[in-house]
Amino acid sequence: MNTDDLQLKRATSSALLSLLNLTALPVIGFIGLLYVYSKTKPNTIDRYYAVVGIKTSLLAGIALLLVTLLVILLGGFESPLTWVYVTSYFVIVHASFILFATWTLTRSWTGEKLKRQILSK
Amino acid sequence: MKYESQGIAKMYFIAAIALFVGQILFGVTMGLQYVMGDFLFPEIPFNAARMVHTNLLIVWLLFGFMGSAYFLVPEEAERELYAPWLAKLMFWIFLVAGGLTILGYLLVPYARLAELTMNDLLPTMGREFLEQPTITKIGIVIVALAFVFNIGMTVLTGRKTVINLVLLTGLVGLAVFFLFSFYNPDNLVLDKYFWWFVVHLWVEGVWELIMASLLAYVLIKVTGVDREVIEKWLYIIIAMALISGLVGMGHHFFWIGAPAYWQWLGSVFSALEPIPFFMMTLFAFSVVNKRRRDHPNKAAVLWALGTAVMAFLGAGVWGFLHTLAPINYYTHGTQITAAHGHMAFYGAYVMVVLTMISYSMPLMRGKKAANVTAQKLEIRSFWMMTLSMVAITLLLTAAGTMQVYLQRYSAEPLPFMIVQDKLAIFYWLREVAGLIFLSGLFLYIYSFFAKGKEVEFIAEQAE
Ligand code: HEM
Ligand code: HEM
Ligand SMILES: [Fe+2]
Repeated sequence: MNTDDLQLKRATSSALLSLLNLTALPVIGFIGLLYVYSKTKPNTIDRYYAVVGIKTSLLAGIALLLVTLLVILLGGFESPLTWVYVTSYFVIVHASFILFATWTLTRSWTGEKLKRQILSK
Repeated sequence: MKYESQGIAKMYFIAAIALFVGQILFGVTMGLQYVMGDFLFPEIPFNAARMVHTNLLIVWLLFGFMGSAYFLVPEEAERELYAPWLAKLMFWIFLVAGGLTILGYLLVPYARLAELTMNDLLPTMGREFLEQPTITKIGIVIVALAFVFNIGMTVLTGRKTVINLVLLTGLVGLAVFFLFSFYNPDNLVLDKYFWWFVVHLWVEGVWELIMASLLAYVLIKVTGVDREVIEKWLYIIIAMALISGLVGMGHHFFWIGAPAYWQWLGSVFSALEPIPFFMMTLFAFSVVNKRRRDHPNKAAVLWALGTAVMAFLGAGVWGFLHTLAPINYYTHGTQITAAHGHMAFYGAYVMVVLTMISYSMPLMRGKKAANVTAQKLEIRSFWMMTLSMVAITLLLTAAGTMQVYLQRYSAEPLPFMIVQDKLAIFYWLREVAGLIFLSGLFLYIYSFFAKGKEVEFIAEQAE
C-alpha cells in the first residue's frame, strides 16, 4: 500500500470527522465521512480510515440512539429506572466511542492502520 | 536519578501513600454510614469522617505534587535542588501540622477545635475543604512559600525548560490561590465566590498546569519522543485550560445569589473545559503511538495513559454532564456531583501523582524499573483501583439520577431522606466497590516489596 500526502490528509480527515460526528457535529460529520469515502479508492489508507469512521458512526448510532430509544420505549417515559439506566449507559458508552475515535485519530496521524498494541510486550 | 537531591521525593511519596490509605479508610467508613447510619457513632460521626476524607485527599495530593516537583525539577534544571535541607525541614513541619489537624478533627468537637485554635481572631474555619484551623492554614502557607521558593530558585538558576516553567507557574498559582481561604466575609454570597476561588481555581485551573507538566515529563522519559513535540502540546493545553477554566468557574455561581449572567457565562465557558482534558488524552495517545523505545517500566506507561483517559472521563465527560445551567438546576448538590467529584479527583490528580511515583520510585531505589513480579502486581492494582472507581462513579450516577427524579423532577417530589432510603441498594454496591478499591490500594503498596526477576533491558539508554 503506498501512501501519498493527499491520502494521508484524507485519512486524518476521516478520523477527525468520525470524532466530530460523535461530539460537536452529529450527522454533519457523517455526511462528511460519506463524501471523503466517495473520493477514495480500494486498498488505500484513506479508504481504510473512511470505512473505520463510517463503521464507528453506524455502530455508535445503533448503540447510542437505537438502544436508548428502545429502553425508553420499553421502560416507559415516566419510570425513574428508565432514566437511571439511560443516563449511566449513555454517558459511559458515548465516552467509550469518543475515546476509541480519539485513538483512531492519533493512529491516522502516523499513516498506519489501527493495529498496534498500546502497551509494549 | 541524576542528582542526589532528587531523592528527597521519596519521603514525600511515602507520606503521600500513607495518608492516601487513611483517606480511603475514612471513605469506606462513610460509605457504610450511608447505609448504617449509626456505624461508629458517636466515636466517628459522618461530618468528622467527611472532613478527614476530603482533607487527607488534599494534603496527600500536595505531598505528591511536592515530591514530584522535587524529583522532576533538579533533573530538568540540570542542577541540585537549591536548598535540600529546607525541603526536608518543610516535610516534617507539614507532616506534623497535618497530623495534628486530623487528630483535632477526630478527638475534639469541631466547635471546640475552633475555640482551642482561636478561630475568632481570624475566622477561616467551617467551609468545605477549608476546615483547617487558622494556624494550620498559616502553616500551609509557610510550607507552600518555602517550597515555591526552593523550586523557584532551582528553576531560575538552572536550565529553563517548558516543563519546568509550566510546573512552576502551576505551583505558584496553587500557593497564591490558597490565600483566598483567609478571606471569609460575612456576606454569604461573597464568601461563596472566594471559597470557589480556592479549590476550583485549583482543580480547573492551575492544577491542570501541574498535571500537564508532570504527564509531559513522564511521557518524554518513557517514550523518547522529542521534547519539541511535547512542548507544543503543552502550550496548547495550558492555553485551553486557562481560557476555559477561569471564566468556566462561573458554573459554580448559578445558584449562590450571584447575578444571572453567570448562568450564561458559566455554561458557555465551562462547556469548553473538557477541551484541555481531551487534548491531554490526544497528546498521551499520540506520543505513546510515536514512541521511540519500549521502556522497561510498563507500569508507568500504563499509569500515564490511564491518567489521560480517566481525567478526560471524570473531569471532561462527567463535568460536562451537569455543567449547563438548565441541567445543573436539577442536579446541583446531588449524587451526580459526588460521582463527578470522585472520578475527576481520582482520574486527574490521584492518578498523575501515582504516575510520577511509579516512574520515579524505582529510580530512587537504584533501578530503572521495578522487577517483573512487582510490575505485574502494580498493574493489577491499577486495574483494581481504576475499575472500582469507574464502578463507584456509575453507581453514584445511577443513584443521582434516581434522586433527581424522585426528589426534584417528578410531579409529587419526595423528601430528601425518603429518597435516600430508596437509594440504599446503590449505596451498598458503592460500598462493595469501595472495599475493592481499598484492597487494590493495599496490593499497590505490597507491590513495592515484592521480589522477583529483574526486568531485562531492551532499550539501550532508557532512564
Ligand atoms: C480534574 C478536574 C476537576 C475536579 C477534581 C473536579 C471536582 C469537583 C468537585 C469535588 C465538585 C464538588 C464541589 C462541591 O460541591 O463541594 C465539583 C463540582 C462541579 N464540577 Fe468539577 N471538577 C473538575 C473539573 C470539572 C470540569 C472540567 C467541569 C465541567 C466541564 C466540572 C463541572 C462541575 C460542576 C458543574 C460542578 C457543580 C456541581 C453542583 O452543582 O453540585 N468540573 N467538581
Ligand atoms: C481516590 C479515591 C477517592 C477520591 C479522590 C475521593 C474524593 C472525594 C471527594 C472530592 C469528596 C467530596 C465530594 C463532594 O463534595 O461532592 C468525597 C466524599 C465522599 N467520599 Fe470519597 N474519594 C475517594 C474514595 C472513596 C471511597 C473508596 C469511598 C467509599 C466507598 C468514598 C466515599 C465517600 C463518601 C461517602 C463521601 C461523602 C459524600 C457526601 O457528602 O454525601 N470515597 N470523596
Ligand atoms: Fe468547578
